[in-house]
Amino acid sequence: MTSRGANALLSRASRIKSKLQTALEATVLEVDDVSYKHAGHAAVRENPNNETHFDVKIVSSKFDGQSLVKRHRMVYDLLADELQSGLHALSIVAKTPNEVRQD
Amino acid sequence: MAALNLSSTVHTPVPTTFSLRLLLSYSPQNTPTLSFYSHSKPSLLFPSVSLRPTTTIKPRSLNTVVVSALKKLSETDLVSIPPESDQLAVKFPSDSGVYAVYDKNNDLQFVGISRNIAASVLAHRKFVPGLCYSVKVGVVDEPDRTALTQAWKSWMEEHIGATGKVPPGNESGNTTWVRQPLKKKPDLRLTPGRHVQLTVPLQELIDRLVKENKVVAFIKGSRSAPLCGFSQRVVGILESEGVDYESVDVLDEEYNNGLRETLKNYSNWPTFPQIFVNGELVGGCDILSSMHEKGELAGLFKN
Repeated sequence: MTSRGANALLSRASRIKSKLQTALEATVLEVDDVSYKHAGHAAVRENPNNETHFDVKIVSSKFDGQSLVKRHRMVYDLLADELQSGLHALSIVAKTPNEVRQD
Repeated sequence: MAALNLSSTVHTPVPTTFSLRLLLSYSPQNTPTLSFYSHSKPSLLFPSVSLRPTTTIKPRSLNTVVVSALKKLSETDLVSIPPESDQLAVKFPSDSGVYAVYDKNNDLQFVGISRNIAASVLAHRKFVPGLCYSVKVGVVDEPDRTALTQAWKSWMEEHIGATGKVPPGNESGNTTWVRQPLKKKPDLRLTPGRHVQLTVPLQELIDRLVKENKVVAFIKGSRSAPLCGFSQRVVGILESEGVDYESVDVLDEEYNNGLRETLKNYSNWPTFPQIFVNGELVGGCDILSSMHEKGELAGLFKN
């Protein structure tokens, strides 16, 4: 997608997207920056770039047979760098292709 | 669970005017509350109704639209309260309506309205077992405020008309049947204060805390005033499930100093809130919400 050097210049949303897409081979991947909803939040005020809160929706067959806790941990692990650098909260919906078909 | 109290008692044979006062009591079953309810100020006054205690009750025609399906109190079957709560749920409906509680001598003790009759009866039996022997139930089909109130009034009027007495539990000032809200538990603190040297590592304190308490929620802010929307939702879900849980405020720098970083490592989970059940991390707000919506939480808290 992009070269490593350009990564730092991208928005956090695109970095999140590319990291999750690469590792999870997601069939559906939506990443929304919802930081504006938490504008009054202390953690947001501390962060000048204001990229702190994201909604993430992922459908991936890699979630097959994994509990919700494990799926969320997989996502968090992939985004460890982001969480270290000001990402404050993620709202995660993590489903398998089968679960989506059942809905 | 709702309880209606009469604010004055009746002994005079001459026509008398009452004002009816509505109280709604705390319900751990998360019975939907009536919108006009205010616990601290039970100030709602009903329009006065005239009653003639010694004569027959008012013609039903006034009420037929709202409580057409409701039987008269005297025509309703008296059902004894079974000793086991699971039988109780089978015997009494979880619907909205009016109910009348009788003691062992078949004396009417209390007439109440409820959004969940079975839950209300269960709560009464738990808190005033000596006065709860059997119950009459009138389900109200379209249970809006007016219909419920009318149903209650018609049973109260019928009883007062027949006996000249207000059921003891409905007398003004009698709070036997109206439960006070349970006080919220205090949040747990992990340390005696930041200036006290810990003899046990914080990690171990966390480990003990989550293993010694069935349900623990690590939240931002206190349980009575969560400071983050996700923590607030978690508290709301736990309370609506009627869970007896412990809470720890991860923002409390005095008594939980260093907790956020230590807990993230302990649980291998980078965000808050975090909910533990039987020492295991269940997850954060998203997972709890999703399990709540799917009805999976009751089973989790049971085991």
